Amino acid sequence: MMDTSVYGSRCNACGKVSYPAHCVCPECGGGAFEPVEISGEGTVLTYTDVYALPLDYAQRYLRLGMVELDLGVRATGQLLDENPEVGKRVRVAIGVVRQSDEKRIYGLQFVPV
Amino acid sequence: MRQVAIVGCGMTKFGRSDVSLLELMCESSLGALRHADLGERWVDAVYVANMGAARLNKQTAIASALVDRLSLFPAMAESVENGPASGASAFKNGFLAVASGMANVVLVTGAEKMRAVNNLEATDFVASLTHPEAEYIYGVTLPSLAGMFTRLCMERFGVTAEHLAMVAIKNQENALKNPFAHIQQRITMEGILHAPEAVVNNPFVADPLRLYDCCPVSDGAASLVLCALDLAREFCPTPIRVAGIGQATDTHAVHERPDPTQLTAVHLAAEKAFSMSGLSPKDIDVVELHDAFTILEIAESEAAGFFPRGEGHVALEEGTTSLTGALPINPSGGLKGRGHPVGATGVAQLVELTWQLRGEADARQVKDAKSGFACNFGGFGNNVIATVLVREDS
Repeated sequence: MMDTSVYGSRCNACGKVSYPAHCVCPECGGGAFEPVEISGEGTVLTYTDVYALPLDYAQRYLRLGMVELDLGVRATGQLLDENPEVGKRVRVAIGVVRQSDEKRIYGLQFVPV
Repeated sequence: MRQVAIVGCGMTKFGRSDVSLLELMCESSLGALRHADLGERWVDAVYVANMGAARLNKQTAIASALVDRLSLFPAMAESVENGPASGASAFKNGFLAVASGMANVVLVTGAEKMRAVNNLEATDFVASLTHPEAEYIYGVTLPSLAGMFTRLCMERFGVTAEHLAMVAIKNQENALKNPFAHIQQRITMEGILHAPEAVVNNPFVADPLRLYDCCPVSDGAASLVLCALDLAREFCPTPIRVAGIGQATDTHAVHERPDPTQLTAVHLAAEKAFSMSGLSPKDIDVVELHDAFTILEIAESEAAGFFPRGEGHVALEEGTTSLTGALPINPSGGLKGRGHPVGATGVAQLVELTWQLRGEADARQVKDAKSGFACNFGGFGNNVIATVLVREDS
């Protein structure tokens, strides 16, 4: 089965978790990492309903959010919440975030806890 | 390092254009060369700023094409692509060429023809500068990053929809005095925010940002002629000295910044430009900021050091940044009013400052302007160039 998870990276030298991953650790300059699955719960930092959509989206608007994950990193993704609020608790779910031709792209969605 | 001066400038009217990208570039370049009145002096190098010709206009290597059209052989020439900061990037490269002694006279032309494609394609084109895996795949666009940024600023600093509208109203008012500006429309607080029909006329684009909080999609070109200052004194009555340039980068994904409301690259770029010039924010008479979204004018005015953090909207409210205020910001109309052909913008900001410092800005002239500051904001603040210009009286 295809792995649809999203990964950040943990630096082997200093332990800093980064998302998205870098080739060089922004904290210590290290170059060796272990993948860290972006998962669990977090808090909504900010969000928007965007009506100026790029290609590949047929709906009227997309609700996007930035979440501070308990994991220690922030992530941007689609916020699937009818009543969004700054400070609200959400958890990571993985879903289809974009569909280009026949290709489905999986990524982070945030749903209410 | 040699001192460098701007000795001429020109631009096309921004807006929707029927002529080709190359025609736009020729028009602004010839305008700047005429304005510079170089006599027998020759252009040694050409820098072209452009972000999307390969995708939007199916044309590449446009600096070579411009040299050919203007018969500037055998001038050195190259294109500079640095997202929405391409304009100031090309300018910086032109500056370095003259400062190093590799060139005496340089032409810098920024251009973009975005209306060649529909709005959906144009939005997607600009969105392609976002992080491909951590932002773009989610449908993130520049307006959406700006929307999320705005919500944070509202929560933390008390910025309101009215403050954002004040930026739009001020800049579109200034644009009415700029014959090169894309938007020629007077707007009011009532019309875009409080009237019942405002929800129709001014809908959300990326809430809390509305249509009138966003710059238009424009075609256009802007050009500058640079020359070594000692040579410029021989023929140019009012050389505009490039006193300082600073550039700084920040994380690609906006969410990775320690504080996503902090425009660190703006702060660092401005600090470097001021340090190089020996001036400070209080010495500046006129400012051009990168208001692709109204919130950015407020946030950049703080990050660049003109106002304390969280107080930019207060200065705006008090009229400090209006055309007749103590520190006029975006007398040209800014990106909001002048328009935003991405590759041209950074050059157009410096064209406006040059006109202002030479006293050639007509109805929007800032009185006794001797020093100017510009901020060209690439990505969503991940690559920023600040410039300080000073009038050299002979």
